[in-house]
Amino acid sequence: MRERRVLVVDDEADIRATVSAILEIEGYAVAEATNGAEALAVVEADPPDVILLDMRMPILDGWGFATELRRRGYPIPIVVMTAAQDAARWAADIAATAFLAKPFGYDDLVTVLDRTGSAA
Amino acid sequence: MLEHGHRSRACPELSAIELISVSNQVLFIGLFAVVAWRAVRQPTRANLDTTLLFGAIAGAVGVSRVGSWLGISEDPAITALSLVLLNAAPFAMLRLVDDFRGTPRWVQFAGAAAFAIVSALAVASFSFWAELVEVVTIGFFVAVGGYAAVAFATEARRTRGITRRRMTAVTVGAGLFITAIVALFIGALFPALADSVRLAAQVAALAAVLAFFLGFAPPAWIRRAWREPDLRGFLERSVHLTGVADDRSAIAQLESAAASAFGASGASIGIADADRRVLRYLTDGGAWVEHPDGAFVAGQAFSRQRRMVVIDAEAMDPEHADAYRAAGAHAIIAAPISTEERRIGVLSVYADRAPIFVEDDLWLLELLANQAAVLLDARSLTLTSSALRAREEAARLKEEFLSAAAHDLRTPLTVVLGQSELLERRVARDPAAPADAAGIGRIVREARRLRDLVSELLDAQRLEQGGAILELAPVDLCQLVETVRDRHSGHGSRIELSRPDPALVGSVDRPRIEQVIENLVENATKYGGASSPEIVVENIDGEARIAVVDHGIGIPNGERDRIFERFFRASNVQSITDTGLGLGLYICRRIVEEHGGRIWHEPTPGGGSTFLVALPIDATGVDPATEEPAAATSWSAPVGKGVVADA
Repeated sequence: MRERRVLVVDDEADIRATVSAILEIEGYAVAEATNGAEALAVVEADPPDVILLDMRMPILDGWGFATELRRRGYPIPIVVMTAAQDAARWAADIAATAFLAKPFGYDDLVTVLDRTGSAA
Repeated sequence: MLEHGHRSRACPELSAIELISVSNQVLFIGLFAVVAWRAVRQPTRANLDTTLLFGAIAGAVGVSRVGSWLGISEDPAITALSLVLLNAAPFAMLRLVDDFRGTPRWVQFAGAAAFAIVSALAVASFSFWAELVEVVTIGFFVAVGGYAAVAFATEARRTRGITRRRMTAVTVGAGLFITAIVALFIGALFPALADSVRLAAQVAALAAVLAFFLGFAPPAWIRRAWREPDLRGFLERSVHLTGVADDRSAIAQLESAAASAFGASGASIGIADADRRVLRYLTDGGAWVEHPDGAFVAGQAFSRQRRMVVIDAEAMDPEHADAYRAAGAHAIIAAPISTEERRIGVLSVYADRAPIFVEDDLWLLELLANQAAVLLDARSLTLTSSALRAREEAARLKEEFLSAAAHDLRTPLTVVLGQSELLERRVARDPAAPADAAGIGRIVREARRLRDLVSELLDAQRLEQGGAILELAPVDLCQLVETVRDRHSGHGSRIELSRPDPALVGSVDRPRIEQVIENLVENATKYGGASSPEIVVENIDGEARIAVVDHGIGIPNGERDRIFERFFRASNVQSITDTGLGLGLYICRRIVEEHGGRIWHEPTPGGGSTFLVALPIDATGVDPATEEPAAATSWSAPVGKGVVADA
């Protein structure tokens, strides 16, 4: 069975590194992007199975990225990661599959991805 | 025919004089009836003297009318009686002057003596020395009546509003009445003039009685018209008071509007505190004083909930005589300020002499008290709602603060939590595995970031709640800036510092000012682009001026005024990093302002930002290092809140 590939999109380097390290231990293949524009380029090059998406980012934010992704016809499930209080609403805004409210821990991350995988 | 013709020529002339004469007699008797009825209801001295005035005139008129009916009008006794009654009129006017504004005792005495002499002369000698009596009577009318008329005129000029109009009418009436009487006597002295003078006298008397009616018993519609300007003036001055934020200023303005509507020496408003049963009054100095709610004339009007007129406050309430004297409050009228639901307080107007036309003053006072009730009631509603708005605003700010705090703490917390759980599992799976230096580094970095965010939040919170207590001590600001510069130059970059040679000593809370400079230098490094920032310290106009200059991205034009606001982050900064709270410059501003200084931003020529801080320095600029420690206690804090720390 092919490794599940996850794209981690966040402008905070430490968040990307932490999430990637956990996912790698859990057996995922991880790609990283620091904003929506970079993330689109990664998707175009090699579409992932799941996208972990921060919402507030420079250059192209989460909303812009999600809109463009759908416009280009990629049905990839998105999991919103945000520190904002209205995480659930933002996830609904962009028709995300799930959301992770910061601060989340190791198990939160793994559980969400497992569920997203079985749903996808 | 001739006789008939003569009569037919003479009759209209005679009947015109006769008609006016009869009208005058009817009007004077009518006026007497009106003022007498008022004196029965309110037997004040002024009302009694007014009754005396018109009683005398009506009496003289009545006696001569009855005399002519009985065919004894030529009888010396009848003539003497009507003369005595007529002479009582100027004497009553003199008494009225005394009631309205006071006259010297000798004037009263002289007036009474003259009245007695002239009357005695009329009784004793009119029958055989009529000319002498007539000349003396003319003199008496001109002197005593003239004095009274001039006094009425002076009083009319001193007063205002409806009182002034009524006093003016009284003055005109008195002048015309004296003219009429003098004309009658001149007609008697010079029979050749008799016909023309008689007509003039009757016309003057008619005008006099009409003027007296206006003055002493104005009809309701004239009263309304005369009161209107006072009322309008009060309303114009007080209508905006619902919006005046400061209670004291609103009440002081209301008091002054009321005093000015009356032309009184002053007015005072007591505001009731129902729970404590006191009335609060504003002193001239702007402080509140409290008195039990039954004390003073005003307090009695409040506790009885009815209007009061006190002509001699010192006599009526001797306990507070000194206070009344000090306020120039000889006469006081007071009315409760109440709405249907609520007793708000009391309005009193005071003057150094009794009100002339009490019923008008009471009417106006009651109206002003009602108006004040509406205003104060509306004000308390406005104030309640603005207090409510302020509470809501405070709650909203707190909410905003908490949510910003929560948001900014979550990101580093995610790293600390996720990363340490990861390390924990690694160790559990393989205790011999090498330590993950990168992971530990991330934890340490983010934990430090958490620490900084927490202290930033606490700083802002503390400043928000009324400022920090500054521990002021003399500090060389050049040296302080140098310390901060050295800390930042350690990380490979070099920050240029230009400073004057002598120390610039200011009384500051050192850690706080270090925090400000630290923050500015950190910003300059973070947003300063490739070239290093510079710091310039100068002594400009007795202030230490610290400029932190960078050549970076600068601040967008429209945002320069807002960068010192809480939670404000420049739009070009947000795209660089999402980590700041937008509190740094806000905290800087608050700290600098607490020190009595200023902080502002200027664009750096050629691009970038220059942040400037100006702090007061001591005039002597002595370096604290060379001073004895004891000298430090003599340094004064630049702002009231500061405390001088022991050196």
